Amino acid sequence: MANYLLRRILLGVVTLTVITFIVYGLARSMPGNPLTVQLGESDPSRKLNAEDQQRMLEIYGLDKPWPVGYMQWIGKVVRGDLGRSITRKQPVTELIGERIGPTIIISGTALLLTWILAIPLGLYASARGGCVDERVTGLVLYALYSFPTFVAALFLQIIFAVWLRDTPWELPLFGMSDLPSDAPLLLRIKDVAWHAVLPVVCQTYVVLAYNSRFIKSNLEEVIRQDYIRTARAKGAGPYRVLIIHAFRNTLIPLVTLLGLSLPALVGGSVIIEQIFTWPGMGRLFFESIRERDYPTIMGLTFMFSLLTLLGQLLADILYGFVDPRVRME
Amino acid sequence: MEGDNQEQISPSQSFWAESWKHYRRNPVGIIALSFVVFLTTVAIFAPAIAGTKPVVCYYKNQLYMPCLGYFNRSLESPIFTKDKFRGTYPTNLQEKDPNSWAVWPIIFQDPYRRVRENEWPGRPANPSRDQGHPNLYNLFGTDQYGVDIFAKMVHGTTIALLVGFVSMGIAGSVGIFIGAIGGYFGGWIDSLTSRLTEVVLCIPTLVLILAIIAVVEKPTIWKTMAIIGATGWTGIARLTRAEFLRLKQTEFVMAARASGAGPIRIMFAHILPNALAPVLVPITFGIASAILVEGALSFLGFGPPPPTASWGSVLNSARSNLQLWWLVVFPGLAIFLTVLSYNLVGEAIQDATDPRLREAKK
Repeated sequence: MANYLLRRILLGVVTLTVITFIVYGLARSMPGNPLTVQLGESDPSRKLNAEDQQRMLEIYGLDKPWPVGYMQWIGKVVRGDLGRSITRKQPVTELIGERIGPTIIISGTALLLTWILAIPLGLYASARGGCVDERVTGLVLYALYSFPTFVAALFLQIIFAVWLRDTPWELPLFGMSDLPSDAPLLLRIKDVAWHAVLPVVCQTYVVLAYNSRFIKSNLEEVIRQDYIRTARAKGAGPYRVLIIHAFRNTLIPLVTLLGLSLPALVGGSVIIEQIFTWPGMGRLFFESIRERDYPTIMGLTFMFSLLTLLGQLLADILYGFVDPRVRME
Repeated sequence: MEGDNQEQISPSQSFWAESWKHYRRNPVGIIALSFVVFLTTVAIFAPAIAGTKPVVCYYKNQLYMPCLGYFNRSLESPIFTKDKFRGTYPTNLQEKDPNSWAVWPIIFQDPYRRVRENEWPGRPANPSRDQGHPNLYNLFGTDQYGVDIFAKMVHGTTIALLVGFVSMGIAGSVGIFIGAIGGYFGGWIDSLTSRLTEVVLCIPTLVLILAIIAVVEKPTIWKTMAIIGATGWTGIARLTRAEFLRLKQTEFVMAARASGAGPIRIMFAHILPNALAPVLVPITFGIASAILVEGALSFLGFGPPPPTASWGSVLNSARSNLQLWWLVVFPGLAIFLTVLSYNLVGEAIQDATDPRLREAKK
């Protein structure tokens, strides 16, 4: 076990280094730099002259070729420092700390909802497999799975923010809160929840459709096995067979799926946060690419990739716990 | 005796014929496939369905096909530029050559510009801003600048399908190649290709694409396709690798090796045809996701530059004009139905080609 873990971690470190190297190279090859992009766009007269720019680049260590910059960056990361954002004049860890809360409000709620809804839906689908109602729900879920989130977001915005304007059903179009920060806490919570409804719905439905189909197909595989026939033969009712006997054995792939959803939980969705101008991690990433804010891009990439790798590792380890047949080698 | 025996045995059906027989029995798969065929037809004949350039015209004693200019500007004969047509054909053709005749597209509307008043005799100019509800002349309405949405949708079909096929062509070749060499040779080559796949898989797709798009500076639709293709091969590579791992130990591969075939020949002439069916499934799903990604990119404003009429860019223009619902409904449904039908086709192919699933369905 320890041997296995050590090997996985070593491999993970190598993968992480390669990923960050590639992304750093890409980021530094984007045209422009944080200084030109930020100042030149807002006001041409504020453009830095060549001398000042050179001086600033030296301060940020951007005057050297990018492999050197990468070595400096990774040297800092090893010491636990993700650097300072150039455009926001703030440590990257602090920026991430600010944005992680809003993202988890959306993705955490969505994740919880998908699992609460997907398991009963999957059970129902395999219990009534082949019946008309199951086929209809199956088709609807499949359609939802193919429905692009950005289209769904626009539809929801049109319905709830434009057509239902000035009705009790009206929902806010974007942002996270309209209230000043000194408003009473309860009102502010309600306001944020109100703003979160549409983004949460958008983030939930695709994953829900995918997960319930996943659960159903796993259950169908299990149900064909002999021990289920035995359970039926000894007189267990259909629901008892499904929930007590069959479902437990589909937990293994579910654990993998749960592990793989870890990065999305913290990473958020670029598209949804962008549409609803939700101040989360996805939006931060989008903005930092636009602003050529290399330290933020790198900090976020590092975090996403680390979480992806951790999620995979976690899934594999949990696999061993759930299924005693799996050996870590 | 032998001769008698052979006559009695009917020739066994090929794998693909057998699969098609199973596919045909799946009504959902057939509906989805017909929709894909319909889309392909629209994509190929887009300039003949909606446009302001004649499909065929007879001008100064010669035949021209100006509609091809929608595919590529250089296919439009230079004579029309020389004679100062400036893109408006109906009146100019009559004025400059009374003997001319033309076959027009079914819908006289342009995907790139607003149709002006009397451009087509007796027809009003396209409405603009919030006046462009769907009407008799503009079936799907017009955008805030007065450009017809139906024409944009029709020409957008060409782009959507091109994106799907070209990017998956790239992703398919890269994925099959990497998966094939990894699975066939094993050893350090396999660990190298597997690590590479893992690295690309770990970087969030949209992030990778956004970064590469920023690097290539001027995005064109072709660059977008190349980027989607260059990032979307991981699933195909993994599946191909698994198939090759399985197949390289079968007898027919050993027979091929014994008869002196080289590794390239064994990989691509012997193993690949047998691994193609399972690999076809992620490729079909990949076409759907490529169309989705292109839509998302154009929607975020990272797509090809404005004159390109892609579905995502229509949606993007809807973001700041939410009260113009027709800017959302039509392109939104188009992307949805296209993605759905490709996914359903993929699913049906999986059901039809996987003998294990075929048995289960009986």
